[in-house]
Amino acid sequence: MDTLKVRDARDVEDVVRAAIASEQPLEIVGHGSKRLIGQPMATNALLDLAALNAVTSYEPNELIITVQAGAPLADVRSLIDSRNQQFAFEPMDTAPLLGTANLGTIGGMIGAGLAGPRRIKAGGARDHLLGAHGVSGFGDSFKAGGRVVKNVTGYDLCKLLAGSWGTLAVMTEVTLKVMPRPESERTLVLRGLDDVAATRAMTAALGSPFDVSGAAHVPNSAFRAAGSGLGELGGRGEAVTLLRLEGITASAAHRAAALGKLLAPFGAADVLEDDASAAVWDSVRDVRPFAASGALAAWPVWRIVCPPASGGALGQALSRDTGGDVIYDWGGGLIWAALPPKPDAQAALVRQRVDAAGGHATLLRASDEVRRNVDVFHPQPSGLAALSERVRQSFDPKGIFNRGRMLRESGA
Amino acid sequence: MAIMMPAPDQAVLGRRDAIVAALRAIVPGEGVIDSAAEMMPYESDGLMAYRQPPMVVVLPDTTEQVSRVLKYCFEQGIKVVPRGSGTSLSGGALPLADGVLLGLGKFKRIREVDFDNRVVVTEPGVTNLAISQAVAHAGYYYAPDPSSQIACSIGGNVAENSGGVHCLKYGMTTNNVLGCEIVLITGEIIRVGGKSAETSGYDLMGIITGSEGLLGVITEVTVRILQKPETARALMVGFAQVEAAGECVARIIGAGIIPGGMEMMDKPAIHAAEAFVHAGYPLDVEALLIIELDGPAIEVDELIRRVESIALGCGSTTCQISTSETERNLFWAGRKAAFPAVGRISPDYLCMDGTIPRGKLPEALARIRDLSAKYELRCANVFHAGDGNLHPLILYDANKPGEMERAEAFGADILRACVELGGVLTGEHGVGIEKRDLMPEMFSEIDLNQQQRLKCAFDAQGLLNPGKVFPTLHRCAELGRMHVHGGKLAFPDLPRF
Repeated sequence: MDTLKVRDARDVEDVVRAAIASEQPLEIVGHGSKRLIGQPMATNALLDLAALNAVTSYEPNELIITVQAGAPLADVRSLIDSRNQQFAFEPMDTAPLLGTANLGTIGGMIGAGLAGPRRIKAGGARDHLLGAHGVSGFGDSFKAGGRVVKNVTGYDLCKLLAGSWGTLAVMTEVTLKVMPRPESERTLVLRGLDDVAATRAMTAALGSPFDVSGAAHVPNSAFRAAGSGLGELGGRGEAVTLLRLEGITASAAHRAAALGKLLAPFGAADVLEDDASAAVWDSVRDVRPFAASGALAAWPVWRIVCPPASGGALGQALSRDTGGDVIYDWGGGLIWAALPPKPDAQAALVRQRVDAAGGHATLLRASDEVRRNVDVFHPQPSGLAALSERVRQSFDPKGIFNRGRMLRESGA
Repeated sequence: MAIMMPAPDQAVLGRRDAIVAALRAIVPGEGVIDSAAEMMPYESDGLMAYRQPPMVVVLPDTTEQVSRVLKYCFEQGIKVVPRGSGTSLSGGALPLADGVLLGLGKFKRIREVDFDNRVVVTEPGVTNLAISQAVAHAGYYYAPDPSSQIACSIGGNVAENSGGVHCLKYGMTTNNVLGCEIVLITGEIIRVGGKSAETSGYDLMGIITGSEGLLGVITEVTVRILQKPETARALMVGFAQVEAAGECVARIIGAGIIPGGMEMMDKPAIHAAEAFVHAGYPLDVEALLIIELDGPAIEVDELIRRVESIALGCGSTTCQISTSETERNLFWAGRKAAFPAVGRISPDYLCMDGTIPRGKLPEALARIRDLSAKYELRCANVFHAGDGNLHPLILYDANKPGEMERAEAFGADILRACVELGGVLTGEHGVGIEKRDLMPEMFSEIDLNQQQRLKCAFDAQGLLNPGKVFPTLHRCAELGRMHVHGGKLAFPDLPRF
C-alpha cells in the first residue's frame, strides 16, 4: 500500500486531487492510533499527516491554540499543561483499550471525538473545536469557523468535522478552545452499590448544585481481572461509585463535604484528593479495566451512549443477558460493555436493548473479522441515514476519504 | 433598501389565491392569514429598518401540519420563511414577497420536564425564559440567556445559536441543546439526538443549530438544564483608560478564572445607562467592567478577592462589590438596559455584533472611535468582554437624509475591522440579511460554496429562507460539479514508503 507523507497543506490538496482524478480512496492517518476503529476500509493508499505537526500559535489569555492536524496530542497536552490549561473535554486515550502504541494526534482526537468523564460538564470535542482548515473531497482547501470562542458566522461546519472519523474532509489545521486546569480535585468513593442504585446516586449528585465534573460507576465484576487500573480501589472487590468535584481548593473540599452529606443514604463516602483522584479518572476515561493488556483482551467492547438515568437498568440487563462486564461514566449516560466473544459481538441483542432505551451503540473494539460482519456505528432510521449520506456527499461526493469506515458496504 | 432580495416569482404571485386556499385546507381557521392589515405584524423582525409583507402567513399548530405545508410548498416551488417570535436582530425572519411566512407561534407547549435526565423537551414557540421558569421550582434553569429572553422562542434560539451574558462559562445554545425534531422542505420529519449527551453518526444537531432557518423547520427541541449556582456576586470596576480595562479582562482569564459574566461598557454607554436606570455607575471613568462570579459562597468570596486584586493591579479607579442580590441586580440593571437607554438619547440606533480576540479590545475601540469621527455619528459600546463579543450601538436619525446609509456603512466598517483583527462578523446575532453581503470579508468563495453544498443536502431547490446568509445563490447542480484537476499525479517528489 502506498503511504503518502504530506509535508504541508498544499501537498494534501495535490494528493486529494490526484485521488479524485483516479477515483482511489485514501485512508487518512496521523499516528494510526485509532486505525482499529470503524468498519475495515478498502483503501489503496494512506495519506499520512504526521509531518504536519507544528503548533501554529498558542495564546493562553485568549484560551485558544491553533495546531496542525498531525501534531502529537501528548506534546500539545504538555504545552498547554505548562500554562495550567487543558482540553476540558478530557479526550480519551484509546491506546490501552486497543493495545496500540500511542496517544495519537490532534487530528485523530477531533476526528474520533471521544470525550472523557468531564463531558457531562464541559461538553465534547465538538464543543471545543472553534475552527478548522481542511481539504474537501472536491480537492479544495476550505476553512470552517474562526479563531474566537463566540462565533455564529455561517454554518458551524466544525460540529460536523468533530466525530466524523475522517470521512468528510482532511483537516490540516485546527483551532481549539483550551480552559484553565482546576486548582484541585476531590473524588467521593461510594462502595458496594448495585448498578441501579449507583445510577440513582449519580443522578442525585448531578442534580445537585455542587457542579459535579465526573460521575462513574465500576461494578465489582469489572474487577475480576487483575490490574483494573484503578489501583487500590479495586482491591476489595467491591463496586465503586465515583463522583468528582473540581475547582479552587476551598471550593472543591467544601462541595465534597456537602455532596457526601447529600449522598449519605447511599453509604459513607471516602474522599480521594488531587493526584490520587486524577489517576482514578484517567483509568475511567481510558476504560482500563477492559484494557487490551488485561484478561478481557479478546472481548469486544461496545461504547453505548444513552439517557443517563436509564444507564443502570440498561447496563445491568446487558451484563445479565450476555455474561459481559460493564462500566458506567457520564452519570450513566455512557456505558462501556465488554462482552464474551461471539462472531457478531452480540450486536443484535445490544442494539435491541440500546434502541429501547433511546441510546446508540458503537462497537469500539473488535477483530477485523467481527467488524466486517457488524455495523460498527449505530444504524440510523432511513430518513436520518439518507440525510447523513447527503451531508457526507456534500463534502466528499466520490467517497475518497476513509471510504466505508462509518457505513458497512452491504448495509448501505 | 440596501439589501437586494431574490426577485419575486411572478408565476407564484399569480397563483396566490389558489395557494391560500390550499394552505387553508391544511391549516384550518385563523391559522392562515392573507389580509394586508393582519399580516402587518409579520412584516419585519428585530431588524426593523427592513420591512416586507409576505405573500401569506401560516400558523400551523402540529408537526403534521408543518410537514404538509412544507410538502405542498416544495411540490409547488414556493419559498418558505420560518419565524419564531420575530426578535432576530439580523433580519433572519424577514419575509419574501412571494414566500409563505411559516410562524411557529402556536407551538407553545413544554412537552416534558425530565429532572432525572436533566432535560426539557419543548415545542419551539416556548420562550427562552419560560423554560427556566418551568424548572425553577426544582432549582434548575436553562443557561443561555439572550437579552430578549422574555420574548424570544427556543426554536429561534436554536436557529440562530443564540448567546447571552453567561455564555463564556455556560456556552451558547449549541452547547446546551441535545436534540430536535426538524421538518425538511420535502415534508419529511427527522429526529436528531434526544436525551443522550451525543447524537449517533454525524453531528447534525450541531449544524442545524445556527443554520438560520435555511435547513429545516424545527418543531421540537430537547435542551439540557442546569442547577442554579448556590450564589452569585458581582464587581463593578471603573478604569481611566479602556486599555487598562482590556488588560484586566485578559489577566482575569490568564489567572484561570472564568467568570459567569464579564461585561464592559464605554463612557457613552455608561452615561446613557446611568441617566436611564440610576444604577450608581461612576461617570468619570472611560470604561466600566461588571464581573460576576457564581458558585458556592466559599468559592465566590475567594474569586472576588482575586479579581479585585487583579483589577487594582491594572489601575482600576473605582471598585464596588455587591453585598446583596439587590445590589448585584442594580449593577446589572444599567447593562441590561443599555440598548433602550441608548434609544432614549438617539432617535434610532444600529446594534452591531462582531467578535474579536479579547486582547484586541483596545485596538478595536480605537478603530471605532476613528470611524465615529469619519462618519460623524456617535457610537456607544457595550461588550461581552469575556468572550470578545462587541455590541457597538451606532446612533443615527432615520429622518435625516443619508444618516441610515451612513450608519450602515459605519457598521460594515466595524465588522470589517473585527475580521481584520482576527475575529468574525457575528458573535451571536446571526448573519441574516444584515451581514450577508459581508460574508466574503471572512470566507472565500470556496468556503462559502462548501457551506452552500451543505444547504443543498437539506434543501436542493433552495426554497427555505432564500436570500439570507449567503451573498450569492448558486444552483445545487452547479455546486456539486466536480472539477477534476489535471488528473496526473502532481506530487512526483513526495516521499513514499
